[in-house]
Amino acid sequence: MAVDVAQTYPVTWKNGRIASWLVTVDHKRIGILYVLTALFFFVLGGILAVLMRSQLATPGEKLLTKNAYNEVMTMHGTTMVFLVIVPIMAGFGNYLVPLMIGARDMAFPRLNALSYWLYLLGGVVLWSSWFATGGTARAGWWSYPTLSELQFSPGHGQDYWILAIHILTLSSLAGAINFVVTIVNMRTRGMSWMRMPLFVWAMLTYGILLLVALPTLSAAVTMLLLDRQAGTHFFIPSEGGNIVLYQHMFWFFGHPEVYIMALPAFGMISEILPVFSRKPIFGYKAVAFSTIGIAFFSMLVWAHHMFTTGLGVGLDSFFMISSMVIAVPTGIKIFNWVATTWRGNLIFDTPMLFALGFLALFTMGGLSGIFLAAFPVDWQVNDSYYVVAHFHYVAFGGIAFALFAGLHYWWPKMFGRMLDERLGKLTFWLMFVGFNLTFLPQHMLGLLGMPRRVYTYHHGGLWEAYNLTSTIGSGITALSVLVFVVNVWRTHMLRMGVRAGNDPWLADTLEWYAASPPPPQNFDAVPYVASARPLRDLRLRLAEESS
Amino acid sequence: MPCGLRRISVLVLVGLTALVTAGVAAAANGGFTPAAPDSPNARHTLTAYYVILGFTSAIFVLVEGLLVVFVVKYRRRERPRTAEGAQVHGHARLELIWTVMPVIILCVIGIVVFLELPKISSAPAASDPIHVTVEGHQYYWQFDYPNGARTINDLYVPQGAVVDLRVVSNDVIHSWWIPDLGGKIQAIPGHPNHTWFKADREGTFVGQCAELCGLYHAAMQAQVVVTSRAAYETYVTTTAKTDLGKAEYVGSCATCHGMNGQGGYGPNLQSSPLLVQPAGLEQRVRQGGVKMPAVGDTWTAAQMQALARYVKAHVYKGAASGG
Repeated sequence: MAVDVAQTYPVTWKNGRIASWLVTVDHKRIGILYVLTALFFFVLGGILAVLMRSQLATPGEKLLTKNAYNEVMTMHGTTMVFLVIVPIMAGFGNYLVPLMIGARDMAFPRLNALSYWLYLLGGVVLWSSWFATGGTARAGWWSYPTLSELQFSPGHGQDYWILAIHILTLSSLAGAINFVVTIVNMRTRGMSWMRMPLFVWAMLTYGILLLVALPTLSAAVTMLLLDRQAGTHFFIPSEGGNIVLYQHMFWFFGHPEVYIMALPAFGMISEILPVFSRKPIFGYKAVAFSTIGIAFFSMLVWAHHMFTTGLGVGLDSFFMISSMVIAVPTGIKIFNWVATTWRGNLIFDTPMLFALGFLALFTMGGLSGIFLAAFPVDWQVNDSYYVVAHFHYVAFGGIAFALFAGLHYWWPKMFGRMLDERLGKLTFWLMFVGFNLTFLPQHMLGLLGMPRRVYTYHHGGLWEAYNLTSTIGSGITALSVLVFVVNVWRTHMLRMGVRAGNDPWLADTLEWYAASPPPPQNFDAVPYVASARPLRDLRLRLAEESS
Repeated sequence: MPCGLRRISVLVLVGLTALVTAGVAAAANGGFTPAAPDSPNARHTLTAYYVILGFTSAIFVLVEGLLVVFVVKYRRRERPRTAEGAQVHGHARLELIWTVMPVIILCVIGIVVFLELPKISSAPAASDPIHVTVEGHQYYWQFDYPNGARTINDLYVPQGAVVDLRVVSNDVIHSWWIPDLGGKIQAIPGHPNHTWFKADREGTFVGQCAELCGLYHAAMQAQVVVTSRAAYETYVTTTAKTDLGKAEYVGSCATCHGMNGQGGYGPNLQSSPLLVQPAGLEQRVRQGGVKMPAVGDTWTAAQMQALARYVKAHVYKGAASGG
């Protein structure tokens, strides 16, 4: 009998401590690889941010040269969008979607592993461009031609950038297909669409939006690559090319991309707020349908990034109206989240603090967006520091705060130990104060006339005061991330984190039915799902039986 | 977190916010609204801004206020962690209200914007505008006047006249932006754009390129010098021509080579033989060098002569002695 087993599983190297991670097709391990890799790139991208802020603390060219500033700025944007937020959402999705819908794994486990390894490869390619001839790409994360064309960006940095984007779009496309197929086909018994966790709704729309938006980006950067390397003239006006076309193609991807990053964050908030309010989500259907509404309208608003391109009043008006329409489902979500806390039993553990912080800051980012949607006002505020402040209130105050809520919330499920609450709360308060100090003054800088993407400025007075405040804030924000790293180190390396049970937060969804961390097969059996809160149903039934 | 610590954090936060707000309010236009307008388009933009600011501030206070009230009122206190809140699953009428109200508010904002739009996007009718072509260039602004005069970085206009700007570029995308005189518009190769302004008062209005255009993007500053009609006429007919060589050098060459040709990002020019060889100078300026952009690819012959005269007289210090 023992011989039989040895013959069935002749390969043992795969069980090694490192090898088992390299060959894994388990969605949980792939999810963890995604999350940890993205956190690593988050730290790298954050270091670039602090470098930029330090350069801008006072006028002059002291810390970074103007060339280095453009490189750092381009790499910060590209890293945070393509190597941090999008993949970390894929990581959480990988880990949580099968558990939340009561499945054993994703639909295509090997494809899943391929998407992770392509993601890592894309990250390595992008960051190896520091060693390319001529340095990294330095035309901003949009890489608008003609600045990104060979004539104005010689060297290979821009080519590395294009290659990295190609690899990352392939990774995301494979992942997107996997999410859609898994969610449509592999839900457990009883989990109808209206009983699906809201995070799963978000990951479904994340997948669909990626499938729609990514091919346009791939096409745009392919054309750019052909221009640079094969002598075509898609974006060279003197040869009959049209560079406004690139702007359309980039933003037809770029705006859905905003929601590709934001919707999973919204989904996390919709999971966490109810648990720490001890209530169901207020208006499940409204929250689910507004997700779909946002996804649909996100494909009709791209040119609001192009109001200063000179498209004409007709097109500008259309995109202003569509951008305002998208504010309605977003508003529905915000009001429903606020109402979720109404008459609750609010427990201020770290995940809840981050979720409330998300609500406070994302509201601000949404409202400043209305100024940008009104195109005559946009002509004044766009491409200034106002817009930098706006999208950081969305991407950092909104999405990253939701991510930290999610990290603290699902950490015990993923790693089996609770993160320390005191350090977690310290992380939150430092980040909340640091974030606002960094980005609130940037609204004012933009209104004073400071354009984005400059390595220095030539005005004193308030310009210097706001810039210095912003730099101090970035230091506090960096400190908060350091506290989080210490918390993780303390929990795992010093093994000071308390072991987590299956359901430490008294949550509602199926991932908390499995052990922490779950075994390879996830569940031995899955309870029949009779509502959107199967675990609460189970708790109530057990309480009834024992009484 | 213990109650005391939390209270202190909140106090510190409130204190910091109050301090920043007070400091800002003390200064004139601390950056809470766009720059003080000095042109009708900028003024109407500001009106639209105030309307949006009013509505968004109200929504901001409502949402953040509710959040704070709920956080304080429904906090756990002595209740056990297991105690459930009210099991409310939703409220159709409430949800309808917060769907319809934003629609109404956005409609009002939209209507205001469309009412202000004609006064922002189009110059006043029946005016006789001064047509100026603005060319964004790595890394300077070039202005062409109706009489054929050309200036670099400084745009001279008479007070009270409507100025129609045709905004173009021949290299990369730039963005024209003088905050006091209205919003920005990109200068896109192969896609000419238009904007306008009408300066209400004499003075100098500054701005800078708002679209990343390369290494010296941050240095690409422009000023609009608004003068009396007579001073403007004198400037474009005579002064612009005599100052052209200097304007070209200061606005374009000096960015990298220094005000006196002493070098900076680019090499020292003071003993460069090109400065006294007009043909070689023209070739270098038109086509660029190893790292140098083709700064003068759209310059006229007259401009080349003006530049050659200026650099020979003011920058050239003689051939290097002894090598």
